[in-house]
Amino acid sequence: MRKVWAVVRREFVERIRKKSFWVMALLGPVFFAAVFLMPLLMSGGGGLKRLVVVDRTTTTFGAVVAERLDSTQRFFVVGRVPGGPGVEDSLAREVGLKRIDGFLVLSDSLTDMGLAEYRASNVSSLEDIGLLRETLGRLAERARLERAGVDPAMVAKAQIRVSLQTKKIARGRTTEESAGQSFSLAYFMMLILYISLLLYGVQVMGSVIEEKTSRIIEVLVSSLRPFQLLLGKLFGVGAVSLVQFAIWGVSGRLLLSQRASLASRMAGGGRDVGQVFQVPHVSGATALVFIAFFLGGFFLYSAMFAAVAATCSTEQEARQSQVPVTVLIMIAFFGSFATLANPESRLAVTLSLVPFTSPIATPARWAAGNLTALDVITSLALLVAGTVLVTWIAARIYRVGILMTGKRPNVRELVRWIRTA
Amino acid sequence: MNSPVVVLDRVTKRFVGHTAVDGLSLSVPSGVIFGLLGPNGAGKTTSIRMIMDIIEPDEGEVRLFGERRAVRDHAARIGYLPEERGLYPRMRVLDALVFLAEVKGVARRVARSRALEWLDRLGLGDWRLRRVNELSKGMQQKVQFIATMLHDPDLVILDEPFSGLDPVNTQVLKDTVVELRRRGKTIVFSTHIMEQAEKLCDELCIIARGRKLVDGALSDIKRTHGGHHLVVGFDGSAGAAQQVFAERALVKKVDDYGQYAELELAPGADAQQILQRLVASGARLSRFELMEPSLHKIFIDLVGPEAARAAARPEAETVRA
Repeated sequence: MRKVWAVVRREFVERIRKKSFWVMALLGPVFFAAVFLMPLLMSGGGGLKRLVVVDRTTTTFGAVVAERLDSTQRFFVVGRVPGGPGVEDSLAREVGLKRIDGFLVLSDSLTDMGLAEYRASNVSSLEDIGLLRETLGRLAERARLERAGVDPAMVAKAQIRVSLQTKKIARGRTTEESAGQSFSLAYFMMLILYISLLLYGVQVMGSVIEEKTSRIIEVLVSSLRPFQLLLGKLFGVGAVSLVQFAIWGVSGRLLLSQRASLASRMAGGGRDVGQVFQVPHVSGATALVFIAFFLGGFFLYSAMFAAVAATCSTEQEARQSQVPVTVLIMIAFFGSFATLANPESRLAVTLSLVPFTSPIATPARWAAGNLTALDVITSLALLVAGTVLVTWIAARIYRVGILMTGKRPNVRELVRWIRTA
Repeated sequence: MNSPVVVLDRVTKRFVGHTAVDGLSLSVPSGVIFGLLGPNGAGKTTSIRMIMDIIEPDEGEVRLFGERRAVRDHAARIGYLPEERGLYPRMRVLDALVFLAEVKGVARRVARSRALEWLDRLGLGDWRLRRVNELSKGMQQKVQFIATMLHDPDLVILDEPFSGLDPVNTQVLKDTVVELRRRGKTIVFSTHIMEQAEKLCDELCIIARGRKLVDGALSDIKRTHGGHHLVVGFDGSAGAAQQVFAERALVKKVDDYGQYAELELAPGADAQQILQRLVASGARLSRFELMEPSLHKIFIDLVGPEAARAAARPEAETVRA
């Protein structure tokens, strides 16, 4: 056991000491921050729009619009000018000089036919345009109704907005989680699982190849059993991945708690950030499911990566031979992604039962809220069984392979290795 | 002598296309320096790899410390320096050494203090915190040599330990090996450099093309293969020495320089008889010496034709299933 422990420590310490580990550890939070803040930054771009209203209406409608837009906190109405020849041209020059962002041309045709014109340096902000359109639409609607003699109080009542709240029912209980939140949680978990399985699997592969090409393996196998060595490697690299997750988890939490202030500082607006990106709630049970399935998947795939590496003599060879394993992980990821919208489909159920895909599919379905504890346990049990079987086979290939040099074995030779090892 | 530490019993290993080791039997007594000698491609490394259980013999068996168990069960008692050197290139020297001792079952703290001691002893103390790949090849070799010693093994197996070392380091390594023997350890090492083997070995085995040509104690080998060479020096007059040299019953081969001659005796011939004949012929002798042949000479005589053939083919000691 002491020997295995020595291998675990070496793998762990050498990796933690590497710069690349800390780059990853820091990139994680940067990535999270980007994902949290990106939608905000994209929509918020520029903050307040300075606007001039060109009022050609014959009613007070222009004034009403200007006042209402000003109160949206999205637009700042710099002024309201009457329409006249050359006004639009001079305003366009003002936009060019960046004194204002744009101008809105209103005439009676707004209430009559629903026509208005907005000219601005940036007309691609869907949110701004949407808000503008909605505000104008409502005001026009109200003006028309009032003109037809409808009681303004009645109009106000009729225009009360619908606010649809979505709440997820998970495992029979209504949660405070919205549809957006479960989706983003499932998506995040899948993405992190996918990246981590690949990343750490490839690290195990590299470690095997390094020992093989440096020939230190000859000394090692005369000291401990190949299986002990393999086990030590898996646990060592696995421990590194857990530390990585811990760093990501803590920094993610910190970021989340500081999100509102960060967002307002960066976007300049005081709007509720939650509307832009739904922050998922990660419960203890979810974290547990994530870690359990990650570890299962990690051992399963890393054992395969180790076996692949053992059959190769150089890193280039290994990079080619790993493709089937990588493709399996990709199937797990894209399969789970495709079934995210319909987590009860037969494909989704299958994916979460097959050990090669369940490490990604099951946590995703759990996050989407469609699994009972029994489902998870069944899936996990199958994964553990699959992992034990695959590790057993991989260990046999590893044992023979690590001392081989020269030509890569074909499938028939591999089968013989597994049988005779 | 006490029970042998390493025994190879009619061991054979075949690779695709050729037999690397062919029915090799040898026995390494405890507490000696044992040389495994042979030209390139003779099967030295394959034999050592079979001793180390890195490859399995097709036939025959290997016994270590009198038991047929796997090398790993004796891991704590065996130190092995492979022919193809390798260390973790990005690890620090001290860390790598401690790790390699730990997997042999040495406690961490003990491993550390021993590693520091050895590094100082081999002049690498200042390099302990450097990465392995910053070291020169010779230094790396010394580090790896240290790695084979850290668990204080009873049996040390060194595959070509001196190759690539400068004279100073060769000396350091040689001293260490001699010191190990003094402490009762058994050392097996392979080489094709006979001068080293001659100075170091108590026992040896010469192999070529996978077969054993001769083995035993160095002194015995010299005795059986020596005593056939005679150096004769003349002091002015060689007299009728030529006639004596020409007698096929006495002299098989002669290399005559006039004032000096090297003779190879005919089988069964007695050197004393030649001495009498030379004196009788009127030659004035300044020197008459029965030469003990060098190991180099014995090796060339035994291996010569084999080596020429072996050299023609590449060393194919890779493992194939």
